[in-house]
Amino acid sequence: MKTTPLPGADAAGRADGGRTGRADGGGNGGGHAGGTGESKANRMHARPAKPVRWAAKFLWLVITAIVVAAFWSVRIKWSSLAEFPAEFSKYLGLLFGPPDWSKFGEAFDATILSVQMAWIGTVLGIIISFPLSFLASRGLAPSVLNWPLRALFAVIRAVPEVVIAILILSVTGLTPFTGALALAIGSIGTLGKWGYEAFEGVDGGPLEGVRATGGGTLALIRWGVWPSAQPEVFSFWLYRFEINVRASAILGLIGAGGIGKMLQDNVQFRNWDAVGMLLLVVIVVTMIIDQISGTVRNRLIHGVWEVPLLRSYRRRMSMRRERMEP
Amino acid sequence: MSTAGAGTGPNASGTPRNGLGGPGRAPAGRPAKPKSAGAIAVVVLILLAITLWAGLGIRVDLAAIARNWSNAVANIIQLTQPDYGFIPKTFPALLETLQMAVIATAIGAAVSLPLAFLASRATNPHTPLLRVVRFVMNLVRSVPDILYAAILVAVVGVGALSGIMALVMFNIGIIVKLVSEALDGEDAGAQEAALAAGASWFKADRAAMLPQILPTFASQTLYTFEINIRASTVIGLVGAGGLGVLIDNVRNFFRYHELSMIIFEILIMVVVLEMFSAWLRKRLV
Amino acid sequence: MAATRGPGAESPSAADIRFNNVSVRYPNGFTGLTDVTLSIPAGQMVGIIGLSGAGKSTLVRTINGLVPISSGDITVGDYTLAPGRRQLRGRALRDLRSDVGMVFQSFNLAKRTTVINNVLMGRLHHTPAWRSLLAAWEKDDVELAMQALERVEIVSKAYEKASSLSGGQQQRVAIARTLAQQPKVILADEPVASLDPPTSHVVMRDLQRINAELGITVVVNLHFLDLARRYCDRLIGLRSGTVVFDGPGAEADEKVFENIYGRSLTAEDVLEAKAEL
Repeated sequence: MKTTPLPGADAAGRADGGRTGRADGGGNGGGHAGGTGESKANRMHARPAKPVRWAAKFLWLVITAIVVAAFWSVRIKWSSLAEFPAEFSKYLGLLFGPPDWSKFGEAFDATILSVQMAWIGTVLGIIISFPLSFLASRGLAPSVLNWPLRALFAVIRAVPEVVIAILILSVTGLTPFTGALALAIGSIGTLGKWGYEAFEGVDGGPLEGVRATGGGTLALIRWGVWPSAQPEVFSFWLYRFEINVRASAILGLIGAGGIGKMLQDNVQFRNWDAVGMLLLVVIVVTMIIDQISGTVRNRLIHGVWEVPLLRSYRRRMSMRRERMEP
Repeated sequence: MSTAGAGTGPNASGTPRNGLGGPGRAPAGRPAKPKSAGAIAVVVLILLAITLWAGLGIRVDLAAIARNWSNAVANIIQLTQPDYGFIPKTFPALLETLQMAVIATAIGAAVSLPLAFLASRATNPHTPLLRVVRFVMNLVRSVPDILYAAILVAVVGVGALSGIMALVMFNIGIIVKLVSEALDGEDAGAQEAALAAGASWFKADRAAMLPQILPTFASQTLYTFEINIRASTVIGLVGAGGLGVLIDNVRNFFRYHELSMIIFEILIMVVVLEMFSAWLRKRLV
Repeated sequence: MAATRGPGAESPSAADIRFNNVSVRYPNGFTGLTDVTLSIPAGQMVGIIGLSGAGKSTLVRTINGLVPISSGDITVGDYTLAPGRRQLRGRALRDLRSDVGMVFQSFNLAKRTTVINNVLMGRLHHTPAWRSLLAAWEKDDVELAMQALERVEIVSKAYEKASSLSGGQQQRVAIARTLAQQPKVILADEPVASLDPPTSHVVMRDLQRINAELGITVVVNLHFLDLARRYCDRLIGLRSGTVVFDGPGAEADEKVFENIYGRSLTAEDVLEAKAEL
């Protein structure tokens, strides 16, 4: 055992002094309080006791209890899960073995309609939410306006688009236009919130700069807030469009038209091979739109044209290059 | 490089000298205004054209709103008068919605965590496996939740089970994407150290990377829970259990007093849970 | 079991390191090392000096296989690192790495977890997968980690989050992590480059003490000449991937440094002088 303190290394001497007493105890794996009892070891070198995090323990207990209660109380025949693999493969066969491509033309038209619905919904949502988010931003509009608008956004966000559609369909009927309106209203909730968050998150420097030149609120918005928030806001619009494309399929299910309606009809009549084809169309179209929208968003935020699917590949290559270059 | 002053010197003096040196075009040294106006105009025109095309496609009919206005007013009046007597009847569906959301979040989170590690380049050195996982995850994410519900209702039958399974698929898509992106962006120093100490990738990921993304993971799980509450009211429309089933029933009979009661309940539930989860998330990060 | 492997106990035979005509070429054509032949006896404390890009980092990282070599071979104790198909990989590579501790410039701690968990990462090689999954560390390993923390005098922080520590404290936790490995060799890649001068001395003293008390071979990359001369038994000077100096610090005079650096010394190369800047 090398326990002799090194001359000169005073700190080492202290540490060694603390350790000599314990080194043998370590042999039987005894992690017992160790240094704490030793009078010689000063407080800096005493082993702390393992802290017990009661708050975390309590939180875990509550979460576990809630989850267990949910599993225990829910009315589900869990035994039907046993048949699931067999049923699932049966339906996979029905759906994709092979899909029915004869209705592809109809499906394509329906998809276009869904995308149009999403587009109009997004555009209307932007037109309405854009001024509202300024009015909801602290510092840009009086708080008398801020809070009611924020509450409105929150209420809209809490209501699913389908429910909005059900509410307004008595006015406009069960048409794609109703779907677009429902998406527009739904978009106001999210775009409004993201908007005021972006505006309020703008760095104080440019704001002060505009204020210092004596600009009014409008100048402040145009030259202090908008230039910084612009890429982010554009990117939110695109993101909301992606969401609306998915949501438009859902609206179709209650009859607003488009791919969702066609899907619902075919599910009802159990035309599984057509449903399989529709699923593929939905997946491919959402993927394509996500990629296009993602490319534009990359351009807006990072300033480069880059397709998301290829980005990970390119990042990998550049990472590899970096690793190789010391 | 050797002294601090030398670094800034040439840069500071460089620009004005260049500026004075250009006697060619009009104002000496002033750059021409970049021509972006034309490009912006083209983009705006394209966007307008798409909007016009889309508007014609879905037959935007503003006149209909005016035509049906009286109808709308009647409905709105009904909506402002929720049928409070209907509350007890909504409880089972409300409970089922909550149960579905809790169970789906729990399963979704448990399945997503290992998948997220498999889907991140930072934690999975096995390239072919990484590609497969990412491809499958892209597929899973591109199907809207309600489509899962529609199919699963056909496969396992009407009820909460199909709803839970649909939500789980939906949740996996979200959590894996967000957490694996967090992993990609995480500082891998500790993992490198663990690998340099002879740990396997699995152990290094567990010991060095997991603690780093745990707050992100918890926060995303809570966020997913919020989404599930909202989504579980919707997927009932295709028969997958929860409040949606009830909404489907009352809407078919245009019982707007009851519908407004349900919406009111959803509002309260979502807002309360969102506040709770926002509070919890603030404490996590 | 712990008694025979504890850092307090006699060190388990430090390993010697031998480079035989080692070259490293990166796939992009960059040459990291050219025909390096070196012998570092067990228990020596060696400082590697040179400009950035001279191959210091490459040299250190070949020793635990983080950078694969292109030709020649390296022996570390009982292990041999070879190029190409004969490369160490999988289990054998991890065995070697568990015997070689590494300290990094940027500390490389998992900042969101506790200090003790970070130190226990040095025990991962010996921990079964299921135990590491559940963080069910063996008592002996926890004891070992605690002793390692005691040696770098930071045990009082054992249950604090790594992020709450100062840079110097973090680097000492990182040293404790290598100690928990019970290594035969410790590699340090610019361990003080992110630290202020007083803290740099504390960290260098820790390394020196570990070398002296436990007899562990220490190979440390340093940019600052005064630090290297003061703490290391022997200096190796690298320039463009080749060894241009090899000898005790006392022999490394101004002229030698000019040869290594290709220019005369500046304040940037000396810690004390830099501290005054």
